Amino acid sequence: MNLKDILSPFSVWKRAVKKPWTIKEPINDRPGAENYRGFHKNDFDKCIGCGSCEEICQNNAIDLVPVEGQETKDGDSGLRPKIDYGRCCWCALCVDVCPTGSLTMSNEYTWVTDDPEEYRFIPGADETKWQEEKKGYKRSEDIQLINYDRAEMLEFEPKDRDKSFIEIIKGYNKEQAMAEADRCLECGICTATCPAHMDIPAYIAAIRDDDIENAFRILYETNPLPEICGRICTHNCETACALQNQGEPLAIRWLKRYIADQISPERYKEVLGTEHLADPILNKKVAIIGAGPAGLSAAYYLAILGYKIKIFEALPDAGGMTRYGIPEYRLPYDKIEEDIDYIKALGVEIQFNTKIGKDVSLDELHNDYDAVFAGTGLHLGRSTKIPGVDNKRVYFATDLLREVSLGNEIDVAETIIVIGGGNVAMDITRTLARLQNQKYGKVQIITTSLESEDIMPADREEVVGAREEKAIINPGWGPKEIEIKNGKIKGLHVVKCTSVFDNEGRFNPKFDQNQKKFFAGEMVVESIGQGMDLSYLSEDIKSSLKLGPRGRVQVNENFQSDLKWLFVGGDIIQGPDVIHGIANGHVAAKAIDDYISKNM
Amino acid sequence: MTDISKSKYKNYKADRSKYPKMENGKAVIDLDSHKFTKIWQGPQHPGVTGNMSVELIINGDEIMKAKTHVGYLHRGFEKLLERRSYIQGFTIVCRICVPEPDTNEYCYSAAVEELAGIEIPEKAQWLRTLNLEMSRIGSFLMWIGGQASALGLGAIGQWTIGMRDFWLDLFEEMTGGRVYHMYMIPGGVRKNLPAGFKEKTRDLILKTRKLLYNVEETFFNNAIVKSRLKGLGIITPEIVDEYGIVGPNARASGKEYDVRMNNPYLKYGELDIKMLTSTVGDAYARAELRYQEMHQSLDLISQILGKIPETGEIQTKLPNVLHWKIPAGQTYMKAESTRGEHGFYMVSDGTKYPRRVFLRGASYTHAISVLEKLAVNISISDLAALMVSLHTCPPEIER
Amino acid sequence: MKKIINRIKEKIEIVSLKQRDDLYFINVKEEHIIFLLSYLKEQEGFTHLAFLQAVDYDKYNMFQLTYMLYNYDIKVNFGIKVIIDREKSEMTSIHKLWAHAWQYQRELHELFGINFPGSPRVDESFVLEGWEEIPPMRRDFDTKEYSEKTFYQRPGRSTNDPKEYMKEKLYKNFVEPPKIRREDD
Repeated sequence: MNLKDILSPFSVWKRAVKKPWTIKEPINDRPGAENYRGFHKNDFDKCIGCGSCEEICQNNAIDLVPVEGQETKDGDSGLRPKIDYGRCCWCALCVDVCPTGSLTMSNEYTWVTDDPEEYRFIPGADETKWQEEKKGYKRSEDIQLINYDRAEMLEFEPKDRDKSFIEIIKGYNKEQAMAEADRCLECGICTATCPAHMDIPAYIAAIRDDDIENAFRILYETNPLPEICGRICTHNCETACALQNQGEPLAIRWLKRYIADQISPERYKEVLGTEHLADPILNKKVAIIGAGPAGLSAAYYLAILGYKIKIFEALPDAGGMTRYGIPEYRLPYDKIEEDIDYIKALGVEIQFNTKIGKDVSLDELHNDYDAVFAGTGLHLGRSTKIPGVDNKRVYFATDLLREVSLGNEIDVAETIIVIGGGNVAMDITRTLARLQNQKYGKVQIITTSLESEDIMPADREEVVGAREEKAIINPGWGPKEIEIKNGKIKGLHVVKCTSVFDNEGRFNPKFDQNQKKFFAGEMVVESIGQGMDLSYLSEDIKSSLKLGPRGRVQVNENFQSDLKWLFVGGDIIQGPDVIHGIANGHVAAKAIDDYISKNM
Repeated sequence: MTDISKSKYKNYKADRSKYPKMENGKAVIDLDSHKFTKIWQGPQHPGVTGNMSVELIINGDEIMKAKTHVGYLHRGFEKLLERRSYIQGFTIVCRICVPEPDTNEYCYSAAVEELAGIEIPEKAQWLRTLNLEMSRIGSFLMWIGGQASALGLGAIGQWTIGMRDFWLDLFEEMTGGRVYHMYMIPGGVRKNLPAGFKEKTRDLILKTRKLLYNVEETFFNNAIVKSRLKGLGIITPEIVDEYGIVGPNARASGKEYDVRMNNPYLKYGELDIKMLTSTVGDAYARAELRYQEMHQSLDLISQILGKIPETGEIQTKLPNVLHWKIPAGQTYMKAESTRGEHGFYMVSDGTKYPRRVFLRGASYTHAISVLEKLAVNISISDLAALMVSLHTCPPEIER
Repeated sequence: MKKIINRIKEKIEIVSLKQRDDLYFINVKEEHIIFLLSYLKEQEGFTHLAFLQAVDYDKYNMFQLTYMLYNYDIKVNFGIKVIIDREKSEMTSIHKLWAHAWQYQRELHELFGINFPGSPRVDESFVLEGWEEIPPMRRDFDTKEYSEKTFYQRPGRSTNDPKEYMKEKLYKNFVEPPKIRREDD
């Protein structure tokens, strides 16, 4: 034992005169670090109640509860997370997973109360002293637990597609579809927004499990036209997708298309379990006017219920607007046929080239059938009614698109002006651009709309696609006059449109007359909306129906008119879009089944 | 190095002439003879490391027999993990061990990554290495406080636990949590370093070194400490393999086994690091070795701080974690905790949930087989010092 | 390491798998385990037993036991996997090869119900005292059911599924998909 070992320990006294490390102030004077995982905050303006936080919570500490003042609406369930601090472990996975970024944490860490119930609280709703605290844990931009980027979709390059009507989008392969399906959060908020309320999370889950047959069956539960919808649906679901808050929404439409493309048409009956259906089981007949989405959907759901169905179609092919209003490069005709052939295979009869009111009267249908469903669609164009529209080189988009589909030649001018900012306007623009390319080898087409770029109703990819095909899209202008010289169109005068809707959201465009522009062109196409043709309703029938604004037939929630045997649905009631038509047809089919069963 | 010849245990031989009776070299213990007392050290006893207890049979103040009892802390982590998805699991593994949670996080995340076939970015690897070294310092500071307190040197415990809190402050800034950091998410780490972190860490390294020299003066150069620890709980090289002893306990007996160097993981292969060993194998040698390893850790932290890339990704993109399935397979990921080889054995059956996750902790053998062997024939007053010198941590035993 | 595996292959029937450079697994038959472990320990330098653990494959009615060895010289971990029958759940003890093996065997006996006849203190309770249920680490032991049965559940929690809730709020009259009608309906 040496002396040093005895003396050295006494150096402990050195520290007696040092400043202590402990904090004298009360503990709440010591704030948590910048990204401390303290108590939760939730920004109700951002939160959509998708429940991803509840899903990922490993301690089962989160419930989704209704909160006063939070309305249930498209893209927002109206539910908000309630956190049980008896269970929470402050791991912040809920913050990292939150697809909207609404859920964060403050750096506050002390909370004393004598009521244990208070520790179950709704961040954002219940008043807390840390609600305004800026510091605290937030998801770092550098990490993500869910994938915000879409799986890549292959499509033909502009130079390979702008001369023909070849389908642009190539569709997902298995790997891409799996990757895309993997992004789904399974919150189910999209289901409410889909007019047909398709069980989107379920069929996407089936893709993940690589059980395409099951996915296909789920599609047919609410939508008998998956090939069509998988390509040209307006995909309202995607605008409600939780992922679009911080990234790209799930490509729900492409996934639907992927499912439909995987099952070959010969296997439809086997997969869907309808091999026994070829002839009607019931001795009841339903007539359907119009082989569009609404009529086909009603026909399908009535057919699987065993009814005898006959569809009367004025045009030579089925599909309605999906065939005659949508260009082939978006929806090839053979894909429409796949959906329709299956419906036909269930015993549904379609009589083409038969116009009700001309070839057959509605009264005859009433007498021969137990019920009638009319889904006649919007086939008439609407006019801007500006000076010059009566020129013969001014067309409606719907008419031109129909002519193209029918295979008739169009007299395409070298320079064209399209008025309209919706998908139909883009369709006609891109169709005419192709025809111009075929005829002249170049594209000279200008599309203009009232709505400015940011509020154009057309799908973004359509606008981008049209520009890639060298069409000029110049939105934000109001058409004023078509200049005509010697009976020939010289161009279109426009003025700047400053706003389209007023403060209450009504259509009430405002113009700045000082900002003018002139688009030169020899041909004008109007694409500002469509109207319906109800000429098949005789005066007699019309008088017993209630007609609403713009001559719309009034129906109840089951699409039954005041004439109990007549059901009306599709674009002439709701829309215009394919998925509303399908939903209407589905609901009407159920109502027709109820109506006929009651009268049996 | 230490010199056992100066230890009081050197020529210690108990007088066995009267009792206990010896048969085949073993004492015949008959509790009814009133010559022996059975007492429990723990579970509530200041001289016990964590929630465990040792059932002792003593003769005078000499321990004749010791038996470790655990079960006061069984939280069933391995069972819980079977019911948690891979991303959920990462938040609970850190809770297995309070003083040193990050080794669990690393092993778990690394096992998930290996089974899922994910490589993590360069910067994330550096940040993980930094985090692991910092947690080693935190754990060692707690240990040395315990070792000193077990010998009645309470002040040292106060200093080092206080210093540990400064390290926890750094953890708080880096990860958002003081004790449970939940930092090493599968795929990478959760946050970049906050501004000014490197400078703060360098300051704290200096501060810690200063404190360590104070500890050296008062603890290692201390006649009492020397006389009590030297010769206590000698682990001979022969029993290292026999008992599966790892970490500083094995290295103090000459076994060159440190996972950081034997099987370098993360960025340890790129650091200047040397195996520290001793040949004496008693409690004092182990304490000295750990003391050197603390300096080594501080040195490694400065090295790492200089090498962390300024920019770069910190996470590899994961599939959607809400339905993340991992291909079937099994793996064993190990790392060097302050107590030795620490590893996760993970078995996946291709579903969303692991089939089996097993944590191999160093204390599993140290606190039971080894302690039961070394505790015999020592004074009951040295038992606490022995336990701490083995650096036992009950959470690793029962998980 | 390849050489070692080849040497083993000469002696007994095994299936080997390289997980990574410093981790190999092999599958062996139950009856070869003692021979193989002694051989690896005594002759191939795998002197460190890192752990012995079980995996429950209840659907296949089997346990997989994993003996994780380590060789300090070549610095490789070697996992020996053995399948044993779950009904019988009995295995030869290796407490004579490693002095701490009894601990793992005692734990496996308690948590998985695997018996190791002859292993010291194998019947002593390890972490559970007074346990009356099936061994808790078996996959068919349901922790949630057990805790609900055993502990008081604090009332006052309820949650909503966003999809169902929105249906209730926004489209209550949703027409459920019709059932495909059959002739005998």
